[in-house]
Amino acid sequence: MSHLFEHNGAPNTGYSQPPPLQTDQPPNVPPGLLRSKPARWPRLSEPEMVRHYTWLSKRNFGIDTGFYPLGSCTMKHNPRVNEVIAQLPGIADIHPHQPEHHLQGLLAIYYEMQHMLEICAGMDQVTLQPVAGAQGEFTAVRCIQEYFRQRGETQRTKVIVPDSAHGTNPASAAMAGFEIVEIPSLADGRMDLEALSAVADETTAAMMITNPNTLGLFEADIVEASRIVHDAGGQMYYDGANFNAILGITSPGLMGFDAVHFNLHKTFSQPHGGGGPGSGPIGVRSHLAPFLPGPLADRRDSSASEQPRSVDGHWYHWREPEHSIGKVQQWHGNAGAVIRCWAYYRRYGAGLRTMSEHAVLNANYLRHAIHREAEIEGVSHLFVDGAETKVAKHEFTLSMQPAKEQLGISAMDVAKGLLDRGYMAPTVYFPLVVPECMMIEPTETESKDTLDTFANQFAKVLQSDAETLHEAPITTPVRRVDEVYAARNLCLRHPYDD
Amino acid sequence: MSCSLQRGGEKQFIMSVTRIVLTTHSKCEVIVMVDQLPNLGREIEMLSEMGLTDIEDLFSDIPADVRFSGALPLPPPQSEEEIIRDARRLLGANVDMGSRVSFLGGGLYRNYVPASVFQLVTRGEFLTAYTPYQPEVSQGMLQAMWEFQTLISELVGLPIANLSLYDGSTAAAEALTCAVRVHTRKASQPNIVYVSCLTPPDKLSVMENYCQGAEIEIKFLSHHDDGTLDMEGLKEATGSCGVYLEQPNPLGVLDEGLTKVKEIIGQNTALIVGVQPISLGMVEAPGHYGADIVVGEGQPLGSPVTAGGPIYGIFACTKPYLRLMPGRIVGRSIDVDGKEAYCLTLSTREQHIRRHRATSNICTNETLIALMGAMHMALLGPDGLHDLAYRNAAACQKAKEILGATQGVSLVHDTSHFNEFAIRVPGTAASCLEYLDQSGIIGGFDLNRWYSDATNQILVTTTDQTSLQDIQTLSAHLTLWANHQEVEA
Repeated sequence: MSHLFEHNGAPNTGYSQPPPLQTDQPPNVPPGLLRSKPARWPRLSEPEMVRHYTWLSKRNFGIDTGFYPLGSCTMKHNPRVNEVIAQLPGIADIHPHQPEHHLQGLLAIYYEMQHMLEICAGMDQVTLQPVAGAQGEFTAVRCIQEYFRQRGETQRTKVIVPDSAHGTNPASAAMAGFEIVEIPSLADGRMDLEALSAVADETTAAMMITNPNTLGLFEADIVEASRIVHDAGGQMYYDGANFNAILGITSPGLMGFDAVHFNLHKTFSQPHGGGGPGSGPIGVRSHLAPFLPGPLADRRDSSASEQPRSVDGHWYHWREPEHSIGKVQQWHGNAGAVIRCWAYYRRYGAGLRTMSEHAVLNANYLRHAIHREAEIEGVSHLFVDGAETKVAKHEFTLSMQPAKEQLGISAMDVAKGLLDRGYMAPTVYFPLVVPECMMIEPTETESKDTLDTFANQFAKVLQSDAETLHEAPITTPVRRVDEVYAARNLCLRHPYDD
Repeated sequence: MSCSLQRGGEKQFIMSVTRIVLTTHSKCEVIVMVDQLPNLGREIEMLSEMGLTDIEDLFSDIPADVRFSGALPLPPPQSEEEIIRDARRLLGANVDMGSRVSFLGGGLYRNYVPASVFQLVTRGEFLTAYTPYQPEVSQGMLQAMWEFQTLISELVGLPIANLSLYDGSTAAAEALTCAVRVHTRKASQPNIVYVSCLTPPDKLSVMENYCQGAEIEIKFLSHHDDGTLDMEGLKEATGSCGVYLEQPNPLGVLDEGLTKVKEIIGQNTALIVGVQPISLGMVEAPGHYGADIVVGEGQPLGSPVTAGGPIYGIFACTKPYLRLMPGRIVGRSIDVDGKEAYCLTLSTREQHIRRHRATSNICTNETLIALMGAMHMALLGPDGLHDLAYRNAAACQKAKEILGATQGVSLVHDTSHFNEFAIRVPGTAASCLEYLDQSGIIGGFDLNRWYSDATNQILVTTTDQTSLQDIQTLSAHLTLWANHQEVEA
């Protein structure tokens, strides 16, 4: 083990700093405000610090380590050039308060990204300000809220979400002050139009839904759902978590949605960073555009005096929407993430559709290969598809219920068994509508060979006996972690000796 | 068969033609780069194994009437070297602060981040991991975040810290709603919080958006002309759910009065203090003078300014707030062999479990940037943090000494500052800053953008990156401008 707080070298062991500026009077902190007791931070020299974090990194699994089929998370390869670009001084060392003529490049990239996302989503205006998917949801429902307030429809206090929705949907709508109406899904996991019709009324502000849904199925009834909600006077909100399945094939706009958020860290490969940062822009139809958070990037032809500093003959500038809800982040969103995702989209450009086609091809192929290998290895009786369907989209679900009933092997056991074979586990126990659910999303950046090998290893895991799997994992830095112990014996920081 | 790419109407892209790879499918020939798609060219092989013939077969479930009819009207694909060339060209059109003499701050600060931080944080095991839902293979990030929680906890003097929120503004906003959740039932001013009237409008706007859903009313606390808090006015906040103040305040003023706030507002009102984390190398930790929640922009520790994101928000609190606080938390535990191990804990507060009753909707946060913060803090150590704070304070002191003696310029608050201070100039701040800009100086922030009555005030920010020469340059050009103003008059 390497413990940060056991490093306690000589004073000033760490980073060596140049001397301070010489002043006539010492810097004046009021005497009653001088720090009484220094932070008990460790003392490490650079070689010790580098070794500690290198050691930690070796105890962590990323896409670079191995196949990461974590459903709903779109763990595609992160091209390294994007990291190089994000560290250029033209993005790393600029301040959002600089005047527009200092930020023409940033504005040009923001403008291009807004426009690209508008095209892909079939929306009229995009803002890049929200910094995560959940914040995008919150921002969009706030815009919808203000839209109805301005129309005097203040009785629209409810937001409808399917029971299979991501937890952020109801949480974001509730944070904006809406009451949540949850509708049950049909037995096959699809949306229940009758249940929707029964609740959509003059109190409905919006319906939040993702398509393909959390089972990886395309909701073919989506246009009818849009009609039901619109007829009741509500707005349709598209959760873009599963956007990787449909780019260039269909769009939220074509399906009748009024607002959408994008998870740039999923679809456009901003690295997930162990939990963030992300970027969650939203796009809206024109009737919601005046309510977006500002500023938005816009442009006009540059004047003669602006020419020398302009980008490609355009003068870029910020614009404040007329009835803006204000801000959801103090600055201009996660600009560094936006730049990375700009670099990613540029790789595909008009070929983004091919990216989605391959995401769907890989998901369907992996589903096929898992069934094939399970037949060969004689374990096909231990799981079933989570949903009956001819084709899945970018991800699919399996139910381990038969293994649970026949052998006492749970989805979690299989997940831990996969860890021992060098894979990240799929998402387990989500969505809840599938018992003993495993949700698998390979993404387009995995080769056929990787998928074939994984499918075989998946079957091999199921050949293990229950006792062995209950013990798994055994090859990982630690074995199963006791989460109940963690919650009952809260230790949220180094205890020192107090 | 081929189809031409439509151009995006009036919104044009910067085009360049590159190596073209034709895919084998679909209605039109779409060109893509092969390096990101290992199965390009293997589609037929994979499809035929599934008993399919065309990639279109995989989309048979999407009704024709919601389909795109042609290719996306976007530019052709580019290779890596073309993208980086375009990135350098476009980002080169920005003026980076390092290329100028810069005094811009106001919430984001240009501090030096040691090279090892960047080298380590881009290790793929950290960079390309998801949220640590499988703790057995995520011990590295989990332990690093538990250590981050400890570093922050020690820094601000409170026992509990989460592993980051989006930025300082959302941390402050979440602190207000958290304070209301904890205190509103017993409050004589339920659903009411008090916020410093100096709070920058963009930050206040975030607070308002986060508060309105819970029907929380934000009231304001005033400051004296010398920048310190009006302690008489503060008494009105007694019985409310929370009070939000910054140390140093948005004008850089260090206010000893804040150490008395908790006595006045009492136990049933949360004292929330927003900090500039580097200042805490010299300035008292708010946890030591009664703060219940400490928030702040973590950015100065570990992260470049990056146009304001991604950065990370600090959130720390005392025990009564623990179960109603936002964000992810790592706990130390054991594995089945009794070995030390780490995992996410107290998840029942969170959206994926509690759904609409969650304490916050936050899911994706700023873990990787918090990791940069942890690395920077680890490398500094307690002595290094003190020295870094001193360098920032000394640069600020030196700038005050020189600008205070500069003809035509006066200090708005002749008191204690950290990192930044306001000056008054003879004429509008906007015209002064424009003049300085033409001389290659980013002179500071026009306070008129925050406060409508401050037309001739500039917030001048110094950091450890500010040199004596920078300050002398600013002073000389302010003198030139002041003289110019006199001639004009």
